Amino acid sequence: MAQVIQDKIIDENLKWSQINQDVIRSMQAPGKAYWITFAVCVAMFLTAVAAEIYQYKVGMGAAGLNNPHMWDMYIATFVFWIGMSHAGTLLSAILHIIHAQWRKPIYRFAEAMTTFSLMTAGFFPMIHLGRVWNLYWVLPYVSDRGIWPNFRSPLVWDAFAISTYLSASALFLVIGMIPDLAILRDHTKGWRKKFYGILALGWRGDDRQWRNFRKTYMLMACFLIPLAISVHSIVSSDFAMSIMPGWHVTTFPPYFVAGALYSGCAAIMTLFICLRYFFHMEEYMTKNIMEKTTKLTFAIAMVWTYLNLIEFASTWYGHNIYDKEVLISKATGPYAVVFWTMIICGSVVPFTLCFQKLRRHMPTMFVVSLLLQLGMYVERWMIVAPTLSQAHQPHQWDVLWAPVVQWAIVFGSFGWFALLFLVFVKLFPSVSMYEVKELTFHLQHEAEEEKWLADQEKHATPEGAREKPVTGRPGLEGA
Amino acid sequence: MSKMKSVKIDRRSFLKMLGWGGAGTALAGCDLPTTVTLEEGKEEVVSYLMPEEYVIPGIGVWYASTCLQCDAGCGLHGRVREGRVLKLEGNPDSPINHGKTCMMGQAGVQAHYNPDRVTSPMLRKNGTLQAVSWDEALSELNGRLGAVSGDRFAMVTGTVSGHQAVLVSALMEQMGSSNHFAHETINARVWRQVCEDMLGDPMPRLRLDKAQVILSFGADFLGTWLSPVHMATEYAKFRSAPRGMLVQIEPKMTLTGGNADLWLPARPGTEGALALGIANFVIERGWNKVNVTPNVRRALAEYDLPKVEEITGIPVSKIKRIASLLSERSPALVLAGASAAGFEDGYESVAAAMLLNIIVGAVGETIEASAQFPEAALLARQGSTADLIKFAKGLENKAFDVVLFANTNPVYTAPEALGLEKGLAEVGFKVAMTQFPDETAMLADLVLPLASPLEDWGTHVAAYQAGGDPVISVQQPLMEPIHKDVRGFGDVMLGLLKARNKEFEQFADYYAYLKTAMLNMPGLADKDNKNDAAWNNLLQKGLLSAKPAKGKLSIKAHTVEVAGYQHSKEYPLHLVPSARLGLWDGRHANIPWLQEAPDQIAKVVWDSWAELHPKTAHELGVKNGDIIRVSSASGSIETQVYIHKGVHPDVVAVPMGQGHTAYGRYAKNRGANPLKVLNPITDKKTGELATHATRVKVSKVPRKNILVKMGGSETQMGRPLVRTVSADQFRRTEGEG
Amino acid sequence: MSFKNILENFSKYRRGAEEGGHHEYEHRWGMAIDLNLCIGCNACSTACYAENNLAVVGKDKFEKGQAMHWMRIERYWDDADAGRDFPEQGALFLPMLCQQCGAATCEPVCPVAATYHTPDGLNAQVYNRCIGSRYCNNNCPFRVRYFNFWSYYESSWPEPLNMQLNPDLSVRDKGVMEKCTFCVQRIRTAKDKAQRENRAIVDGEFQTACAQACPTGAIVFGDTMDPNSRVTKLWQEHEVERGPYTSKKPKQNAELRGYRIFEELNVDPSIMYLERVRETEV
Repeated sequence: MAQVIQDKIIDENLKWSQINQDVIRSMQAPGKAYWITFAVCVAMFLTAVAAEIYQYKVGMGAAGLNNPHMWDMYIATFVFWIGMSHAGTLLSAILHIIHAQWRKPIYRFAEAMTTFSLMTAGFFPMIHLGRVWNLYWVLPYVSDRGIWPNFRSPLVWDAFAISTYLSASALFLVIGMIPDLAILRDHTKGWRKKFYGILALGWRGDDRQWRNFRKTYMLMACFLIPLAISVHSIVSSDFAMSIMPGWHVTTFPPYFVAGALYSGCAAIMTLFICLRYFFHMEEYMTKNIMEKTTKLTFAIAMVWTYLNLIEFASTWYGHNIYDKEVLISKATGPYAVVFWTMIICGSVVPFTLCFQKLRRHMPTMFVVSLLLQLGMYVERWMIVAPTLSQAHQPHQWDVLWAPVVQWAIVFGSFGWFALLFLVFVKLFPSVSMYEVKELTFHLQHEAEEEKWLADQEKHATPEGAREKPVTGRPGLEGA
Repeated sequence: MSKMKSVKIDRRSFLKMLGWGGAGTALAGCDLPTTVTLEEGKEEVVSYLMPEEYVIPGIGVWYASTCLQCDAGCGLHGRVREGRVLKLEGNPDSPINHGKTCMMGQAGVQAHYNPDRVTSPMLRKNGTLQAVSWDEALSELNGRLGAVSGDRFAMVTGTVSGHQAVLVSALMEQMGSSNHFAHETINARVWRQVCEDMLGDPMPRLRLDKAQVILSFGADFLGTWLSPVHMATEYAKFRSAPRGMLVQIEPKMTLTGGNADLWLPARPGTEGALALGIANFVIERGWNKVNVTPNVRRALAEYDLPKVEEITGIPVSKIKRIASLLSERSPALVLAGASAAGFEDGYESVAAAMLLNIIVGAVGETIEASAQFPEAALLARQGSTADLIKFAKGLENKAFDVVLFANTNPVYTAPEALGLEKGLAEVGFKVAMTQFPDETAMLADLVLPLASPLEDWGTHVAAYQAGGDPVISVQQPLMEPIHKDVRGFGDVMLGLLKARNKEFEQFADYYAYLKTAMLNMPGLADKDNKNDAAWNNLLQKGLLSAKPAKGKLSIKAHTVEVAGYQHSKEYPLHLVPSARLGLWDGRHANIPWLQEAPDQIAKVVWDSWAELHPKTAHELGVKNGDIIRVSSASGSIETQVYIHKGVHPDVVAVPMGQGHTAYGRYAKNRGANPLKVLNPITDKKTGELATHATRVKVSKVPRKNILVKMGGSETQMGRPLVRTVSADQFRRTEGEG
Repeated sequence: MSFKNILENFSKYRRGAEEGGHHEYEHRWGMAIDLNLCIGCNACSTACYAENNLAVVGKDKFEKGQAMHWMRIERYWDDADAGRDFPEQGALFLPMLCQQCGAATCEPVCPVAATYHTPDGLNAQVYNRCIGSRYCNNNCPFRVRYFNFWSYYESSWPEPLNMQLNPDLSVRDKGVMEKCTFCVQRIRTAKDKAQRENRAIVDGEFQTACAQACPTGAIVFGDTMDPNSRVTKLWQEHEVERGPYTSKKPKQNAELRGYRIFEELNVDPSIMYLERVRETEV
C-alpha cells in the first residue's frame, strides 16, 4: 500500500470509495492508545485548572510576577498560540487561492488547529488579568454609564482582532467541511447521522450548491488572509506600541507574522506525522506532501531569520542605549541560554530541511518540528521577559524565572489543545474527503494529459492533435 | 472601628483625655472631605451611630503632641478623625523639628496601633505570666515596694524628662533609693562629657547652618545623633548656597556618610589620632585661629603626618587636604559621634575632635552656648550605657530586691557579657512597665501595660535644645486608649506615690497634676489667668518656651592622649554595631513600616546583615547572602553577608535592631543582635560601654540565604537619573548665598 | 462620552496627547525635588505608607519584588567607585515616585481607560475600573506603578493596625494597579475648602505627605500653573518648561540644575529634579 510515488502528491488511482472508507475508519471508536492519550490530556488540563483556581483565589502573586515583570509566560504563551493559528490560514486560504494542490489532503486538520489554538490562546489574556471577572470591560458594550474601553490601547485591538479571527476561522472550518459532513451523514447511523445531518445543512451536492459553496469558500479565504496578517500585527503592537527597549521595534508586525507562520508550519509537521502514523494515513499524507511542507517551512524560517537580523542590526547600529543594552543582555545576560536556544532552534535547525533524505525521514522530521516549535516558543518568551528585566530604570532590574503555577498553566494549555484535537479527529474528518477526490481527479487528468502529450510527440502527426480527454467535474459520485 | 464601638466612652473622661475645653484645642481647623457636603446653615452628614458631639464624621482635626519615638523631643500634630489618630506630622511651631518628621516619627501610629501590645497587667504565677486586674497587680506591687528598703529598690528607665522625670525622682525619694538608672544605647554621653569638660556646657548648640565645612568623626547627625530631624533641617541650610562641605570619617558608612562630599574610613578607633594629626598640621601651617598652650602644642607635635598615616591608614595627602579645608572654608565645625567615642579611649578621641574645634576657631562661631530650660527638675535625665553597666554591677552584687523597669528593654540591649539575665534571676521582684511584650517584660514578675505615647499625658524637655528660647513640649493623648486596661506612665507613678505620701492625693490623676504643674510654670503667657484658656492655648500650641538659663562657653583645652592601633591575630576584625534611623536600638523592630523600609545605605529589609568590604569578603571567600558567624570573646551571632565598599576592610558592621527573642510578631526571631556579643569594655573616663571596641573573628557557616534588598542595579548603568554638578558650577549659578 | 463625541473630537484628542496633554487644565500639580538636599532618610516613603494605606508585604514578597512603596528612595553608587577602594563621594539618593507625566505612556495602553489624565494634570488611577492587565506599568519607563499581586488586607493590617487606615482613600484589593496620586485626597480636600470659601487655592495651603515630612525640605509641591507658587518659581529659575522634549529650546544658562528624568522619551514629567552637587576639590 505505502508505495512511494516519487513525483506525485498522492496516488491518483485511489478509489473514491476507498477514500471515504479510509477517512471514516479514522473516526471509528477509539482504541486504548487514544484513551490513554486522552486521559493524559485531561490530566494536564486539570492541572492547569487547579493552578488557575489557586491563582484566582490568592492573586497574581501566585504566578511569581513582580514589579518589573508584570508580564511573563502567560503573554508569551498567548503569542505562541496565536502564532500557531496562522498555519491553518496559510494552508487553507493562501494556498487555496494560489491553487497549490498539495494542500488538499492536509488543510483540514491545519484549519482545525487554527481554531483550537485560538481557543487556547483566548484563555491567556483572561488567566493573565488581575481581575478576570471584569474582562468584559474591554468590549465596547453599551452602558448607561457611558464608559467605553480605551480605543487607543492595543489590548482592546487584541480583543477585537482575536474574537473576529476566531469566529471567522471557525466559520471557515465549518463551511469547508459541509460536503464531507454530507458524506458522513450518508455513511453513519444513530446520533452521528443526526449530528452530521444538522451540520451538513441539507447538502445534496447539486450544481447550485457547489457553485455557492465555492464562491463562499473563496470569499472566506480572501477575507481570512488579511485578517490573519492583521491579527498578528495587532498582537505585535502590544509590544511595538509601547516605549520599552526591545519592544518598540518597527519590524515587529512582519516579524510576528513570519514567526507565526513559522511556528504554525512546524506544528503542521508535527500533527502531520502524528496523524500519518496513528491513523495510517500514509496514502494521503504522503512524503511528497511532507516535503512540500518542509520546503515552505524552510522558506519561512529564512524570512524569520532575516527579520531577526534586521532587528538586531537596526538596534546595534542605532543610538538607543536602552535598546542596545537589552540586546546585549539577551545574548550575554542571565537569559543567554534561552536566547541561543532560540537562535539555534529557529535559524540553525531548519537547515536540516535542506536535505531530501532528512525531509523524507519521518522520525527526524518529527524531532525537527518539535525543535522548531521550541525555538518559536522561547522566541516569544525572549520578547516578553528580557525587556522587562532590563528596561529604562536600572533600580528595577531583576531576573525572573517563572514558578510552578505559570508552568502548570502553560503546560495545561497544551493538554487543552490536544484534547480539542483528539475530540476533533474522532468527530470530524481530519482529511478533506471531497478535496482529495478532486485532487485524484485532477491528477488522473494530468496523467492522461501527459500521456497524450507523450503520444503526440511519439507519433508527431502533422495533421494535428487528437482530441484531448474530456475533463469532468468532480462530484459526489463516491458518496 | 469595632474596637472603638466596644469601648464605652465616658464623655467627661474623653473630653479630658482629648484636652477638650472648647474649640480652642483643635488646631489648624478642619479638613472636610468630599463625602460631606456642607452648605450654608445646613449640614448633611453620613449616618453614624450616636457620635459624640465633638466627633464630626469625615472631619479630621489636628491636635498637638510630642513624639516619643526617640528622645529628640520633636513636636507633633496628629490628625484625629472619628476618634482615631490617623497620621502624624511635625509641629511647625516646634523649634526642634519645624514641622518635619523622620521615618520613626511617621511610624508612631504603628507603635500605637501595634497588634502586639500588652493589654492587661500580668503577674507571674507558678512560673508563667497570667493576666490579672490592676487592683491585684498594684496591691502586689505596693506590697513588694513596702517590704523593700532604700537602695535595695532600683528603677531602670530610658531617657526621662519633664514631669515624668519629676515623678521618677519623687518615687526614688519616697523609696529612699538613689538607684535610678537611665539607659539608652544610642546616646551622646561621651560627647556631652567632653563638651562639659572642655567648653563648660554639656550640650552646646551646633550651628550647622553657619558652618562652611563640617568634619565629622562618625557623628551620624542625619540619622541617629543628638536630634536627627533638627540636624537635617539645619543640614538643608548648610547645603544651600553658600554650600558647605561635609567630610565624614567613619569605619562604616552611615546615612550622614552617604551624604558626605568626602567619605573616608579610618582604621577603627584611630579617629582621635587623625584629629590630632590634623590639629598638628593646622598649627604647623599657622592656620589656627586660637593659640594653644605649649603643653598641648608639645603633645600635638608627636602626631606628624606620616605617623598619623601609619596609625589611621589615611594617606597624608588626604589629611593635608582636610586640614586645609578646615581653614579655607571657615567657619568649620568638627563633630564626633559613636564610632569615635565607642572605644576605651573614646573620651580622648572625642576630646581630640573638640580640640580641633577650638584650634580652628569653631567655638563661638559654629558652637554656641546652649539655652537650657530653666527648671532643673524638668531637664532630661539622659540615658547612657554607663548606667546600664552600673545596674549590671548592682545585680552582680545582689544589691536589689525590687527592680522597676519603665519603657526600657535592657535585657535586649545589654551585652551578654554583662550577665544581666543571670543577675535578674536573683532579684526578688521585677516589674516591667511597658507597652510591648519585650524581652525584659518576659523576664519580669509583674508586667504593667502602659498607654502608648499617643494615649498618654506628659511633658518633655529635649536634651538638645535647638536654639532660640528653650521649650517644654506637651504630650497630649490623641485618642482614647485602644485597650481598656492600659494606664498612663504618669498615672501609675502617681498611684505608687499616693500609696506612700498623702500629699500626692490632691491630684486625681496625672492629668490634674500636669495641668496644675504647667499652669504654675513661670513663663506661661498669662500668669494671672491660670485658667482653662491658658491651658487650652498651651495644648493647642503643643509647647511652651521659657526664658533660657543661658550658659557661657569657657574653653579649657587640655592635652589628649589617644592609644595607638593594636592589631590582633585571634580577632582580626572590629565589630561595628551600627545604629539605624528606623529600628533605632531595636525598639522599633515591631513596627512593620520600619521593617519594610529599606536601610538607607544597604537597602536590606526585614533582617540583619553583616557588611563586609569586598576585600575582606574575598579573603573569607563569602558572597552576598552567605551566612557567617561573627564571634567575639563574649559570644557569637550568625547573619548574612552584605558586601559593599562603604566599610573599612578591618570591620564587620552589623546593624542594631534585630535579633529579638520576643517583642511581637514583627520582631521576634528575626536577624541577629550585635549588642549581645560586645565585650564589656568601657570608656575609661565616662564608664560608657565601648560599643565599637569589640574585636571579632568571622567564619563561614555552610548555609545560604537570599539577601532581601530593594533595588536591582547598584549603579545607574550610565543613565542620567541622578545627575551631578560640580560645586563650582553650583556657586556660579546659585551664588554664594 | 458618546460615539458622536469620539468621532467629532478624536483628532483633537489624539493630537492633544501628542502635544503633551489634551486638557484644559485647571491646575497642573508638580514638584521640584532638590537632590542636593535629599539625604535619603526614608521619611517621605514612610509618610507615604501612613497617608496612602500602603500595604506592608513582608520579607518573602519583598524578595519577590512585590513591595508597594509608591515613594521609594533609590540608592546608587557612582560608576567611578568601581575603580576606588571606597565610595569616597558617598551615595546617590533618588526619591522616585510617579512623575505624573503630561504625556504619560501608561494612559494610552490601558484597555479600559482606568488610568487617565485629570484636569489637574494628574495621572489618575481608577481602582474600581482597573482590570489588572498590568500594561501600564510595562509601559512606564520609571516603573513606579505597583500591582496588588496578593490581597494584603488581612496580612498587612491585623487588628488594631487597621484602625490607622486613612478613610479618605480606599484599601486596594488584589488584581488592581496602584501608584502615587500626589495625595489626591489632600488635593480634593483643599479644593473643596477653597470652593466653600470661594477663593483660589493658596500655594502651600497643603502639601503631599512626602513633601510635608521631608526634613530637609528637598521636596517642593505645588501648582505649576500658579505663577506665584514656589514650585513654578523653581521651575522658571532653572529654566525647565513643561511640554514635549522635541519642541524644547536649549536652556539659556546650560549650567542650571533643573532637569527631568527620561525627558528624551517625550513623556513630559511633572517632577523637576535639581542635580546633586558634588565637590570637585576633594
